[in-house]
Amino acid sequence: MNDLELIKLWQVSQVSLEDNMKFNRQSIEEITHLKVHGILGSMKPFKKFALLIGFLWVSIGVSLLSPIYLNSYSEANKFFLFSASIQVGLTALALLVYLYQRITIYQVDLTEPILRTQKKLARLQATTLWTARILVLQLPFWTTFWWNDTLLNQWGMWQWAITLVVTLASIGLALWLFFHLTYENRNKQWFQLIFSSKEWEPLMKSIALLEQLEAYPKQETRA
Amino acid sequence: MDKPEQQQLFEQILELHKGILFKVAHAYYPDAKDRQDLVQEMMLQIWKSINRYDDQFKMTTWLYRISLNVAISYHRKNSTRHQKFSKLTDQMVDIPMEDKSDNEIKLNLLEQFIGELKEIDKALMILYLEEKSHAEIADILGLSISNVGTKIGRIKEQLKLKFSHLKSESHE
Repeated sequence: MNDLELIKLWQVSQVSLEDNMKFNRQSIEEITHLKVHGILGSMKPFKKFALLIGFLWVSIGVSLLSPIYLNSYSEANKFFLFSASIQVGLTALALLVYLYQRITIYQVDLTEPILRTQKKLARLQATTLWTARILVLQLPFWTTFWWNDTLLNQWGMWQWAITLVVTLASIGLALWLFFHLTYENRNKQWFQLIFSSKEWEPLMKSIALLEQLEAYPKQETRA
Repeated sequence: MDKPEQQQLFEQILELHKGILFKVAHAYYPDAKDRQDLVQEMMLQIWKSINRYDDQFKMTTWLYRISLNVAISYHRKNSTRHQKFSKLTDQMVDIPMEDKSDNEIKLNLLEQFIGELKEIDKALMILYLEEKSHAEIADILGLSISNVGTKIGRIKEQLKLKFSHLKSESHE
């Protein structure tokens, strides 16, 4: 099949498509009066819910911890106070990174050339990895928030050993994940297993698109 | 541009160039329901961007950029159909559920081939089949003209191979 035949074949298929194309005039008028949803309106319900939970968690955390810092710092259990503060702080940071990413994606100009726009969008989407990396750093603090001076003074050798092993292991795991949850490891089996759920699909698709875009020689891409 | 002017231009664009939206949506989404959502999103993005349209650029180039960018992004964001706009209804865009042609086998193969292409290659192939010049394709995609030629050449080779397989199979 030569080029001409190929184009003719395509055109034949498009003729039948065009014959059936209709825009409802009323619909066109409706769209011009449509109030376009803002950034939150453009998000899926699951993401909105996760964002809401995150904000609630941070708000509750801040409202509970602030009075301790202000009024009863000297008597407070420092293990709980610092562990909880770091957890809340990391959640707030992850939320900010995520919101910044969503707003930037929302503002991308879709009238620019495809490769430039898609590279920008896919890279931004891939920064979702940063949210995950920040959140895994919370892991060790879940093992320390319940410690207290009385408990530590009464613990025997075995209790100490078990507690330290758990905490050190979670520190090791958190740091390992923080440094390894990167774009470069996208093809590793463990990486794909972590991000195999449906919620991570846009991230994995963005990574696949970035790989595709990398196949276009950089020096030949127009500015 | 005031609102009535904007509205008039929007209606003109859709009337004159609706084919671009439908063709791109059709190539990226065989499922009619997804296509409806996609065309709605394209229309909305055109409406949102209309004030930024610079008439020193070709209208079709501008429209291809929006519709392809929306189609590729839509694919990334949506694994399943989901309704995004509260006020838009399914009846707003009328797209045929079945698009058949006389040359069914070849056509099915061509559609299947296009369907299997990766997002950017698919955009290239649509623009090539729409007989856009290499310069215009380069402008829409943001590639150099020579790169457009090389890429199209490779995709066509794959397609011809596929058709020759079909031919040899039908002779057996």
